Amino acid sequence: MARLWSKVSVVLPLNEEQFPLQFSDKVESSVVDVLKRCRQQLYSHTSTSRLLDAQIILDISWEKLNTGTWRHVDKEWRRVYSYGCLFKVAALCHEDPSADEILQAIRTCDMGLLMGAAIMDNILQIIVQILQGEVRKSAEEDETNCAEVKKIRLESPDVPVIKENLAIPRIKCPSLESFNTNYLLTLKPVILEGIIDHWPALNDHPWSIEYLRCVAGFRTVPVEVGSRYTDEEWSQTLLTVNEFIDRYILKKDAVEGLGYLAQHQLFDQIPELKEDIRLPDYCCLGEGDEDDITVNAWFGPGSTVSPLHQDPQQNFLAQVVGRKYIRLYSPEDTDKLYPHQSQLLHNTSQVDVENPDTEKFPEFAKAPYLECVLQPGDVLFIPVQHWHYVRSLELSFSVSFWWS
Amino acid sequence: MRWFGFGFNAFGQIHASEKVIKDGRSDVTKEVKVIHPTELGKHVDTNGCCLQTSQIRASWSRRASLHLDGNSSMCLAGYGTGISNGPCGIPMEESHGCTDAHVNESYLTLVFVDRIECWNLQKEENTLSWSMEIKPPSESSETPVNFPLVFGGYIAPKPPFYHPLSPQLKARSLALGAEHAILLTASGTVYTWGLGSHGQLGHGSLTSEEEPRAVEALWGMPMSCVATGGWHSVCLSDGGDLYVWGWNESGQLGLPSRGLRKALQQQSTQQAGPLCPAASTASPEGEKHEEVFISIQAFPALLDVTPSCEIKTASCGSRHTAAVTTTGDLYTWGWGEYGQLGHQMLISSDEPQCVEFFKEQQMRVVDVECGAWNTFAAVIKEDVA
Repeated sequence: MARLWSKVSVVLPLNEEQFPLQFSDKVESSVVDVLKRCRQQLYSHTSTSRLLDAQIILDISWEKLNTGTWRHVDKEWRRVYSYGCLFKVAALCHEDPSADEILQAIRTCDMGLLMGAAIMDNILQIIVQILQGEVRKSAEEDETNCAEVKKIRLESPDVPVIKENLAIPRIKCPSLESFNTNYLLTLKPVILEGIIDHWPALNDHPWSIEYLRCVAGFRTVPVEVGSRYTDEEWSQTLLTVNEFIDRYILKKDAVEGLGYLAQHQLFDQIPELKEDIRLPDYCCLGEGDEDDITVNAWFGPGSTVSPLHQDPQQNFLAQVVGRKYIRLYSPEDTDKLYPHQSQLLHNTSQVDVENPDTEKFPEFAKAPYLECVLQPGDVLFIPVQHWHYVRSLELSFSVSFWWS
Repeated sequence: MRWFGFGFNAFGQIHASEKVIKDGRSDVTKEVKVIHPTELGKHVDTNGCCLQTSQIRASWSRRASLHLDGNSSMCLAGYGTGISNGPCGIPMEESHGCTDAHVNESYLTLVFVDRIECWNLQKEENTLSWSMEIKPPSESSETPVNFPLVFGGYIAPKPPFYHPLSPQLKARSLALGAEHAILLTASGTVYTWGLGSHGQLGHGSLTSEEEPRAVEALWGMPMSCVATGGWHSVCLSDGGDLYVWGWNESGQLGLPSRGLRKALQQQSTQQAGPLCPAASTASPEGEKHEEVFISIQAFPALLDVTPSCEIKTASCGSRHTAAVTTTGDLYTWGWGEYGQLGHQMLISSDEPQCVEFFKEQQMRVVDVECGAWNTFAAVIKEDVA
């Protein structure tokens, strides 16, 4: 595997002098001292403590990342954390890494991508691609891997019957002009049909379990565990995509509870998946810059629920795999929806939409709504501030675009 | 009294060695992580007298030893002091006459009878960056206060250094965490304020408090000592009971920690380092059925460190805790990956465990002071009857 190190070292600066370690005075000189030791060891041939010093950097910056609230953490410490990840990855790959060490290195890159800040032209993103290529190659050699693939049992979900008078209107490939006048300016929800049929995710690269394992299996992602984020028991954890699929999609270990890879910017983390989707053209009708569009992945089994809530931006929810039941309420009816009192959840309703407590929330039944079953290939336009409730009916993968 | 240190030593703050400073070829891990309690070097003054160390103050990368008898002074060891400055580190000229000190990554604070001085350690040469005159404690009227408390307020470890405190609090001692503070009043009441995101304030919620607020759950139980780590707090009752609250991510509260058990499991399934014991130690009594794990303890919880003993004093590192019993035993728990628990291995523990080393050596532990990732214990030799 010395080959691997030669591939990784090529993307690193040529020598110590060209390796930047510049920080503001937020980062104390004692910490910079350890960073310099790490750098020195990176280019030395005899070092035995590469991992040790990298771990010191990870441990000290982890403490800083957890001090104060996340948005107040100084970006410099997120950079230090990324450097710690980089040095650890280099230490792991330096000499003849085992398959397990390569996986550990991939996980370390992902931790840096998830919690750190970009350093050295996003070098962790470049290295993780190299490492993934390595893992995939050895997986391809292992033919049995593919033979083992089993078909997932097809669920036959109860699909709610949508009352005609409540159905969200559907329209096929409207012109920009007509979408703008009839829906965007009037803030009316609508399902756009046929506008993502050209996505590779729905054609050449259909997002099957096997495909996702192949492209992203060893990558670490945040997963929500618990039925809904308003529950006491709800928590977040980090898993690899393979672990997530085994545990919460195929339910191999018979673990209780639901897992949902929700609201994660997976496409920034795994550019290969980004190739499979496109920004909807209609986003250009917004005033915001294209770079400011937030693209999130929502991947999970049947029965995941996003409680009734509202978001501060326009939303295109594109359904790629499976079906979802969705209900929408207008912001004009907010007074009938009983938002939580707390600052943290004031954009979320207390009402369990499909099983409301009519005594506690008497006004809720009076609030008019629209509903739909979103099918693969559908894109739902959820106007800004519109309350939405989402329940997956089966294995589902959706992509949301928040734009302004 | 002799002082021992164990845990994080990447800067030679416990004992300096060539190998730590330079990149040696031997087992560097053993130098960076001191797992055996190691006696600190003594400072010999110009007259050849061996100075007693009365107190240790430690930060992540440094250790300050206070020599308070006679002509009092302080020595600094660890980052920035090199290895050629004697076993106790560099004696600080500026410290002559000091009564206490505090050190962190950026500043060294020296306490004198009549003034406080904050020295910037980030510059090439130590520079005085701030000082303030203080009133010498008057004979009778006020409660004597311990640093970081000063008359009328307290000194924070970073600018702005001075913060006023209401005189009505009648503060007796104060401990400062990463983002929170815990204060003990003359009457033994505990107040906390600052960030509450990890339950570290003990008011039962995760909200923050701008102003000191009494920890109601402890009302009516006079306390004698308070300490704080990065995200946890401990206090000691007059009767020697220990109360803990805050984040239990590494088992620093001494309560069952799911995060810690998971980490230990992972470590034992991956190839374990030479210093890690076998997987079986992960759960000593085997997994109890339906064990209740504590991630955040937002109310004070009584911790049974050792059922038959009273606790005399306690100190917290950023993610570990150490307590000394009236019988002279040292107990430690929490994060242990740098050897800071003194159990002679690199493993965390969510249960208080006795540091056997001192017992074996017939030493009585009388005091403990934690640095961020290390621990310092003061001992006296037990009289053999």
